[in-house]
Amino acid sequence: MSLASGPTIDYKTLVQDDRIHASLYTDPRIFDDEMERIFRRGWVFVGHDSEIPGAGDFVTRRIGAEPVIMVRGADGGVAVLVNRCMHRGTMLCLADRGRARTFTCPYHGWTYDISGALLGVPYPGGYASFDKSTHGLAAAPRVASYRGFVFASLSPVGISLAEHLGLATQLIDRSCDLSPVGEIELSAGWVKHRCAANWKALPENDSDGYHLGFVHRALFMTVRTQYQRVVGDEQAIRAVVRDWGNGHMEIDWSPGYQGPFEWLGGVSGAAVADFVAALERRDGPELARRRVLEGPAHVLIFPNLFLGETNIAIVEPLSVEECVHWHTPMFLKGAAELNGRLLRMAEAGMGPASFLMPEDLMVAARNQLGLHARTAPWLELGRGLNRERVDADGRTVSHVTDETTNRALWRHYRAVMTEA
Amino acid sequence: MLSDADHRAVVEFIYREARLADEARYAEWLALWTDDGVYWVPATTDPRADPDRHLSHIYDNRGRIETRVKLLMTGHRYSQEPASLMRRLVSNIETSSDDGELVAESNFALAELAIQARRELHWWAGRTTHRLRRVGGELKMCRKKVVLVNAAEPLPNLSFLI
Repeated sequence: MSLASGPTIDYKTLVQDDRIHASLYTDPRIFDDEMERIFRRGWVFVGHDSEIPGAGDFVTRRIGAEPVIMVRGADGGVAVLVNRCMHRGTMLCLADRGRARTFTCPYHGWTYDISGALLGVPYPGGYASFDKSTHGLAAAPRVASYRGFVFASLSPVGISLAEHLGLATQLIDRSCDLSPVGEIELSAGWVKHRCAANWKALPENDSDGYHLGFVHRALFMTVRTQYQRVVGDEQAIRAVVRDWGNGHMEIDWSPGYQGPFEWLGGVSGAAVADFVAALERRDGPELARRRVLEGPAHVLIFPNLFLGETNIAIVEPLSVEECVHWHTPMFLKGAAELNGRLLRMAEAGMGPASFLMPEDLMVAARNQLGLHARTAPWLELGRGLNRERVDADGRTVSHVTDETTNRALWRHYRAVMTEA
Repeated sequence: MLSDADHRAVVEFIYREARLADEARYAEWLALWTDDGVYWVPATTDPRADPDRHLSHIYDNRGRIETRVKLLMTGHRYSQEPASLMRRLVSNIETSSDDGELVAESNFALAELAIQARRELHWWAGRTTHRLRRVGGELKMCRKKVVLVNAAEPLPNLSFLI
């Protein structure tokens, strides 16, 4: 246990219903505890099916602090192997992605197949007897996917992925069903944006609808965007935030949209005619119309997957003071005519040189500096408690600028961090 | 091979472009572009990168170059407010001509003091390709491609002019 040598951390005091304590962002013991309880025991997003279409295709990722290889097996299944030689611990695979028939350790040449089975050990005469079958690569004991999103847990026991996702599968559906064939494709590669802040700043900010008009003021002064309708008179803003349970948090801009495709920058006519026709053939005109009005989901799937409208993003913790935000455009299979636009939108919205995220990550870094002040250690989280409401499906909903989403994150966090 | 005069003009253009970017002289930097300018910073060092299929850090047409500059000029692009203090060295310049345009390849090293939060010194390095054209007797950039040595690694904010 990571905390065996220190005093117990009292999460019930640090995380209260309307305020949280700054040490949650700055205490390295808490970071270690999160890597164990959230990233090892829980379900964590690893990658997408479309990234590894063929046998032997792999990507390397991290689950918390643990390096892993997500690889397509000869049988078409997906394995999440621990990226560490079973001999002396060397990281096996350095490439971000590729196609492999075997993984060979550079240190002493131990070689594994793509299922993780140990194929060979050079100079076997040095062992009286050697059972290769007990020296295969360690693997995530539980791997499951939903609509191509592959999740893993490094714990053999725990709730199922279906239980973890709960109602939030509806939001993954909302994004995937924009594809006429119901599939998204992550084939453009990832951009990684380094952030000088605790990793939790990213899920918080990704689901915060309060900051837009302030942090992104330059953008609103310069160009028209789909976010225009959430800056202005408080009473006139119709977008909402929603708590989907289990730490999954949504911003729903769509109640403020006044026409189709605002989420795509307001395209119309010939550019989308084939796309709309394909959706209508599958869903009928009414549902198709709703889909192109509402657009894709904006939801943080706890703890590290962000469906950021037309982008997919990953939150990667590095240390208590540092994290990385990955993103790639969400291409829609069967709608090739839109993907070029989605690519350009990804570059405009996310990444270190984009028009949005540099401001978010600069502010996150400023927060990290301020949070070291212990004279004033509490963060306020009470905005919207006066007006949030519970809908018929049990989801708490409120004005888009309310902290309903971040309270949902922290409530789930407290539950996970205090589980027996 | 360029004439000595052309070579000198290209080198002077590159030095001037570097200085305007370093000193956050945004309007003057924008005026260096042709109307069909393309500004490309790939997210990979792979020479096969295709900006129509692969995600880039920057792939701006002229309209988006202008948006980028206008954001900086609002005074509210907070990731560059205040602007990073920067000095870049440009070296190893090789020039040629292609299809009526002047082409220069060069290396750069850039020291950036990111003073907006942790006040860290960031080092950037890479290889730049400029394509220049004479418009009304003046050299203008129609293409600038910057391949960072760490293009595929996690990068801190890159909202200044690289």
